Amino acid sequence: MAKLVQSTAARVLAEDAALPMRGRPGRAGLKRWLGPDHRLGYLFVLPIVVMVLGLVAYPFGYAVYLSMTQKFVGTPPVFVGFENYVRLASDGFFQRAVVNSFTFTLSSVAVKLVLGLGMALVLTAPIRWRSFWTGVLLIPWVAPTVVSALNFLWIYDGSLGVLNYLLVKVFGVLDHGVGWLSEPGTAMASVIAVNVWRGFPFFGISFLAGMKAIPGELYEAAAVDGASALRRFRHVTLPGIKNIVIIVVLLSTIWTFNDFAIIYILTKGGPGGATQVIPVFTYEMAFGAQRLGEAIAVALYLLPALAFVIIVLSNYMRRGRDR
Amino acid sequence: MAVSVPAGGAGGRGDRRRSQAATARLQSAVSYAILLTLLLLVLFPFYWMTITSFKSEDQMRSLVSMFWPSPVVLENYEQLLTKTEFVSWYGNSVLVAVSSTLLATAVGTIGAYALARLRFLGRAFMSSAVLITYLVPPSILFIPLYAQIKNLGLANSLAGLIAAYPSFTVPFVTWLLMGYFESIPEELEEAAMIDGATRFGAFRRVILPLAAPGLLAAALYAFTQAWNEFLYALVFITDARLRTLPVGLASFITGDVYGWGYLMAGAVLTTVPVIAAYIYLQKYMVEGLTAGGVKG
Amino acid sequence: MTDAKLRGLAEQLAAGVIARREFLRKSAIVTGGTAAGLTVLERMAGAQPATKMRVWLFKSFVTAGNDVLAKQVEAWAKERRVQVEMDWATFGDREQKFVAAIEAGNPPDIAEMNYQGPSRYKAALRDVSALARSIADARGGLLPYAERYVNLGGQFYGVARLAFGGGFFLRKDILEAKGVKPPKVYDPDVLEMAKKCQDPSKDLWGFGQTLNRSDDGNGFMQNILWNYGGSAWDKDGKPALATTFYKQNLEALQFAVDTIQRHKVQPPGVMGWTDVHNNEAYMAGKLVSTNNGASLYYAMVNRKHPLAEKTQVILTPGGPAGSFVSAGAYNWGVFKQSKLHELSEDLIRWVEDEGRFEEYMKVCIGQAGAVYKKRAEHSYWKSDPNFEGMLQNILRSVWAGYPGPFTAAAVEVQAQYILCDMAGRVVTAGLSPEAALKEAHKRVEDIHKIRSRA
Repeated sequence: MAKLVQSTAARVLAEDAALPMRGRPGRAGLKRWLGPDHRLGYLFVLPIVVMVLGLVAYPFGYAVYLSMTQKFVGTPPVFVGFENYVRLASDGFFQRAVVNSFTFTLSSVAVKLVLGLGMALVLTAPIRWRSFWTGVLLIPWVAPTVVSALNFLWIYDGSLGVLNYLLVKVFGVLDHGVGWLSEPGTAMASVIAVNVWRGFPFFGISFLAGMKAIPGELYEAAAVDGASALRRFRHVTLPGIKNIVIIVVLLSTIWTFNDFAIIYILTKGGPGGATQVIPVFTYEMAFGAQRLGEAIAVALYLLPALAFVIIVLSNYMRRGRDR
Repeated sequence: MAVSVPAGGAGGRGDRRRSQAATARLQSAVSYAILLTLLLLVLFPFYWMTITSFKSEDQMRSLVSMFWPSPVVLENYEQLLTKTEFVSWYGNSVLVAVSSTLLATAVGTIGAYALARLRFLGRAFMSSAVLITYLVPPSILFIPLYAQIKNLGLANSLAGLIAAYPSFTVPFVTWLLMGYFESIPEELEEAAMIDGATRFGAFRRVILPLAAPGLLAAALYAFTQAWNEFLYALVFITDARLRTLPVGLASFITGDVYGWGYLMAGAVLTTVPVIAAYIYLQKYMVEGLTAGGVKG
Repeated sequence: MTDAKLRGLAEQLAAGVIARREFLRKSAIVTGGTAAGLTVLERMAGAQPATKMRVWLFKSFVTAGNDVLAKQVEAWAKERRVQVEMDWATFGDREQKFVAAIEAGNPPDIAEMNYQGPSRYKAALRDVSALARSIADARGGLLPYAERYVNLGGQFYGVARLAFGGGFFLRKDILEAKGVKPPKVYDPDVLEMAKKCQDPSKDLWGFGQTLNRSDDGNGFMQNILWNYGGSAWDKDGKPALATTFYKQNLEALQFAVDTIQRHKVQPPGVMGWTDVHNNEAYMAGKLVSTNNGASLYYAMVNRKHPLAEKTQVILTPGGPAGSFVSAGAYNWGVFKQSKLHELSEDLIRWVEDEGRFEEYMKVCIGQAGAVYKKRAEHSYWKSDPNFEGMLQNILRSVWAGYPGPFTAAAVEVQAQYILCDMAGRVVTAGLSPEAALKEAHKRVEDIHKIRSRA
């Protein structure tokens, strides 16, 4: 072990010495420690650091503090420790929001995964005008979420919406229209559908990029070995995009879990809380019930789980880059 | 795609070639079928949104001329532009999105270059920090960020949004460009520096021009994110005439639900710039995404 | 030479050293009153910054009323040479608007609030007792139900303006055709009427009343609890959902839920309705009856809708313990932080002037219900038989917190939609009514505890 450390240290030192040295010789030690480009480097990252500290780190810290206070509109916060968290644990509405959040997220991501794979496979198949179709299929992801949500609100409309019109009058599949967003049985599936519609192109394009990066020789080798298309998919394609799949799934999980606009606009968490999710519940707590301290406690409640996912994901993303 | 190729040469070359051709045709057909389904799913809502914007209220309520308005009416657009504050909202969105884009691209470019290329203490830590920042969701930040913006005296102002948006535009732009910069061979800068340029000079004269497609993609992405942003705009702005488009459009349904016609007109007009910019720069965007962020 | 003198005067005016009249007089001398001089003068005078006042109004569904009020405010602004910045709050974003602005420390100068406003935002509102009392005295005094919302412990935090009239809307043509009399109680009258008159195969339903989170749903739940002798509060203002009035509340909740689940007199998807859906459904001819504010009547009369003549508005039906409703008074609030409170009070006097209010009231077609005794006696309310029901519904109104006192906690329970959430838990989450009542009781207790601490 010691020998390994020693030889590594020797190597690092040698590499270090080989770095071009700038600046006055007397300050060589400090300079080397800070890095050869430290002047320009720090200057260039200064704006980002300021921004991260000011717009993310500090508010986040303040959020943690606020979550442990009782705060109403126009009055200063009163520290109450973990009281908010304790109360929320036994609140039936909060519990339901948590369950709904998980349902919404896991279902959406699963369907997006499948559709994304399909989209990527289609775009790597022998079809014409491939890049044009790629562009078109990305449009739902580019369009404003609010616009899409409003659009689907209109499409789902119980009496005047086109979905019911198609199902009842054109295809004759149903006897009368369904209240897609107003029936507790269909509301969750309906909002999931909108999230999926909006998000699957991101999966598709990422997988497509990943598939393109797989060297063609691997496929040829497999084909020569007599592998069927399905087996080529399983043994060449899937492993090749494994990293991308993990990154995209985790990224989308974070985004979907925290999605606000779609549910806020389509159902506001209704009917009767059937589609209530954490972000909308937070908002309602803050501006409806006007219990700001508790609202943040709601948002932060699942922070440990979220942090775990974030750390895992960032490791993968860094690993993917460092290759 | 999901069809097996007969293994081995049991049927002889001619047979194999014929079955291979048949497989390819089947593969093609299946692909086209799936493509068609996806296209239908993707395009139908936009088509629906657009034709609704040209329908009159009576047409909508009586469910006539469902799939093509006859006659086509322009009153929704008229009403939208003259009787609502849509035009103000449009101006607001443009201001906020353009400012945010410029800010994010400027900050992100130099930051990304530093993190990708320059060597200094703390660089690895900062890279991770930038990434983690991006992943902290707005639904946690919106209340304390609002308090912050208010302390700066920027509550209920577009400046407040422009100040807050970098919290999500900058990290992603940075991350995207880091990957892009890394894909540019170091030798180019070294060559420039051997020729006597400073690090900064090499950056300015060699790297920036080469990274132009990536910068364009990043700028486009930042613009899209700022244009589409909803939660912060909803919370930070209270005056109706200062709203941005997403919040303004959403406000149509809290007040008077009958406005589907002009709501869809507003939706169309809101989507057009993003789609237009996207079509024009799509090539760069796909290239930028592929070369940058999500690598396998 | 002249120019510099003029500029000097302008600076003095801007600095507030001289008054406008003085400025005009002195500058007229300077310019010799020549035509050219006068135009220069006008331009300079017009360039002085005017006082800017922020006014928040409520955008109801009665658009004509909104327009008239806006015009009246503009007229006032012109008269007083004040620049007014008007902004609108709606049913959907009202709370968020107020919270955000107050938290940010920049509320408007004056705002039109609903009945919850004075209670919820008391900390940020100005005491307007003098103005409120003087306005009320000139109009025969405040009606008791309205006074409760604005008079908090002897001090007025709002100047009452109107209450949204409303009632039980029914299709008298259908009832006549089936030989059914207008109902007086929910059970069995309304149920029987609904079952006899509805025709689900033609998408015509007997009763359209959502229990979803909305003003409609919340109001109905509050009323039905009272109708059965129950309430969320007891006589002393303590939480009573699952305690003092447990039996009565359970019966009431069961009835409400049964209208959807058991009797099947409600249209599908009713649990997803917000405040506007029953209006739409009624006007589309899908409902035989529904509870609503006057905005529905306004919409029909305004549009010359064929159903307007076929509609009758009667007193909201009752239950075993009587018939109870609660109307809330919309009112004007002036914020403590405003430096323009004198102007704000002046604006209130202006729009509450009887002549102007009459103009407003007439275009609202029933929504501008009376909060002052004299206004309740106005002949307008006799001009349409349907107004009688709407007016009476307001006059007999009780208050949030009944049978206990009107408290901040009671307002909070309404503002947080506790009651319709409770019903929602039974209908959509499958909780038993007993469990939902107990759960809601706990939430009410929480609010009671918090608000007592404050």
